[in-house]
Amino acid sequence: MNALVKVLVLCCFSIGAWANEVPLEKVNVATDAVTISRGAEDLMNDCHSCHTLKYIRYRDLVAFGIDKQKVDAWRGDQAMDSPLLGQFSDADAMQSFGIVPPDLSLMVKARDGGSSYVYSYLLAYHNSPDGVLENPVYPATKMPDALGIASATDAAQRTEIQGRARDIVSFLTWAADPHDAERKRLGYYVLGYLIVLTTLLYFVKNQIWGRLK
Amino acid sequence: MPGRIIKWIDQRFPLTSFVKHELTDYPTPRNLSYWWNFGFLAGVVLMLQVVTGIFLAMHYRADISLSFDSIQHIMREVNYGWLLRYMHATGASAFFFVIFVHMARTLYYGSYRAPRELLWWTGQGLLLLLMATAFMGYLLPWGQMSYWGATVITNLFQATPFFGDQIVIWLRGDYTVGDATLTRFFALHYLFPFIIIGAVVIHLVALHTVKSSNPSGIDLAAKDNIPFHPYFTIKDLYGLGWFLIVYSVFVFFLPDSLIEPANNIPANPMQTPNHIVPEWYFLPFYAILRSVPNLVGGVVAMGLSVMMFAFMPFLDRSRIPGGAHYRPIFKIQFYLFLLDMLVLGYVGYTPPTNQTLLIGQIATLCYFGSFLLIPFISRIEERWLVRRGLPPAVIALMESEALTIEQRRLKHRRRGEQA
Repeated sequence: MNALVKVLVLCCFSIGAWANEVPLEKVNVATDAVTISRGAEDLMNDCHSCHTLKYIRYRDLVAFGIDKQKVDAWRGDQAMDSPLLGQFSDADAMQSFGIVPPDLSLMVKARDGGSSYVYSYLLAYHNSPDGVLENPVYPATKMPDALGIASATDAAQRTEIQGRARDIVSFLTWAADPHDAERKRLGYYVLGYLIVLTTLLYFVKNQIWGRLK
Repeated sequence: MPGRIIKWIDQRFPLTSFVKHELTDYPTPRNLSYWWNFGFLAGVVLMLQVVTGIFLAMHYRADISLSFDSIQHIMREVNYGWLLRYMHATGASAFFFVIFVHMARTLYYGSYRAPRELLWWTGQGLLLLLMATAFMGYLLPWGQMSYWGATVITNLFQATPFFGDQIVIWLRGDYTVGDATLTRFFALHYLFPFIIIGAVVIHLVALHTVKSSNPSGIDLAAKDNIPFHPYFTIKDLYGLGWFLIVYSVFVFFLPDSLIEPANNIPANPMQTPNHIVPEWYFLPFYAILRSVPNLVGGVVAMGLSVMMFAFMPFLDRSRIPGGAHYRPIFKIQFYLFLLDMLVLGYVGYTPPTNQTLLIGQIATLCYFGSFLLIPFISRIEERWLVRRGLPPAVIALMESEALTIEQRRLKHRRRGEQA
């Protein structure tokens, strides 16, 4: 039966090895408030004109620690409790792009590859030799090159855009699961408690079984 | 005072004798390994699922226009809603993992053999109930995979002779998976766990009648049995500690590893996902379904593949007691079977190509072969082992078993002559 365990462990490792069609650029998302606030700002400038984040309210942004004045500027005359809906009606979007831009609240969770997918997608725009804008990560995309990576030529500008993409993805990662940090923090306590408990149970078990001849 | 209360109860309800019979005096083989912990763990996971499920149901909306949003409401706004939801979603996988290990242990040690056939069959019933419950629960988040998974699986009932189309409509309550399907799946998903609890009671009654098997495969003398409490209560609790550690790693650090990304997109009947995959615990059976080119054949093969386990007491007629312990060829067969399950799981996971289709078909043949060839292989193995010599305890047991069979036969014949 021990071989069963080994086989299962090997199986778990092999799951990660299954290949994706397009190699994605790995990104380490930030979880600090500064980067996420910057990401929120970039997102409000570059994405929010078309995309909604319907599961996030302005109040959530303030609660997370984003500057209230900035949030007030973004929301205009909308209530604190209203979600981040787009400024673009669905009909207008259909007319401009032929598609309603997807909601971004869960975008990071809704794609294979997660944050790395969104990051690679944002940076994958380039002009083909015939001058057509292409995106190999998602060739059917209707979205224009929002960050302008295709037209960026010098290295400094590209680095700046990459940083911006990382900020946005960090914000989206937070938005997809706002309790992520809290969950992990609690997880360490739970694991610590369980390890102590299991160790104690081990000693009690040995003591009880020690009574047997 | 407590003594008087217990006496008062005992005159009206068999409390003390029940505890004595089922716990403090219940004889359990002392040589049980940790593989025998998994039945208890399955019970714990069942309770976890029921409790988290009831609390989730307080915040969930079974309505196609609200259910996806209500999951996000639970994840974001309900106090510790994320914990409830991740515990419940991870719990489904934990449940199948624990049950699969429990079944693998039964197969390896031959615990399904006489006199434990009914115990095994009630377990088979529980497996079917668990699969149905998991399948219906998966529709409730109303994501893309929920919707298309339910569509594919309910479509399979088209294979029913004569009434195929009507059965599909009857199951869905509509021509396509929709609001009617969601509400009935929710109602049944809430009901089935309580049926499972009832079936678990039956499973335990059967267990306490025939008692646990043990790794040696031989019935132990009375001196080798120890009371369940406190020895196995503490051993089970220690095992539970380990289980909860692994479970918590998934709940707190890898909760999304078991959720298909496409299920974070709301169900869209107009857009089929690139490739529809079931949850990991259904993958081998799904691979068998896809390996048969014909719909009816595929459905029958998939149904049989789950039900094959129930035939084990008939297929395995070796006179060598126990499972793989004294039977080297059976042991090899067991590991090959596990390997085959992994291959089928892989085939079920990947999008079908000509190559994986062929691998899947070979693996499907191996799957059924490893059941259907057992009678022949075990006969040869038995002859070989007897020739090679067996431990005296095993020979004694084989002789006593042969004797009871002979006596039963004689009694039967005598009764026949009298009539």
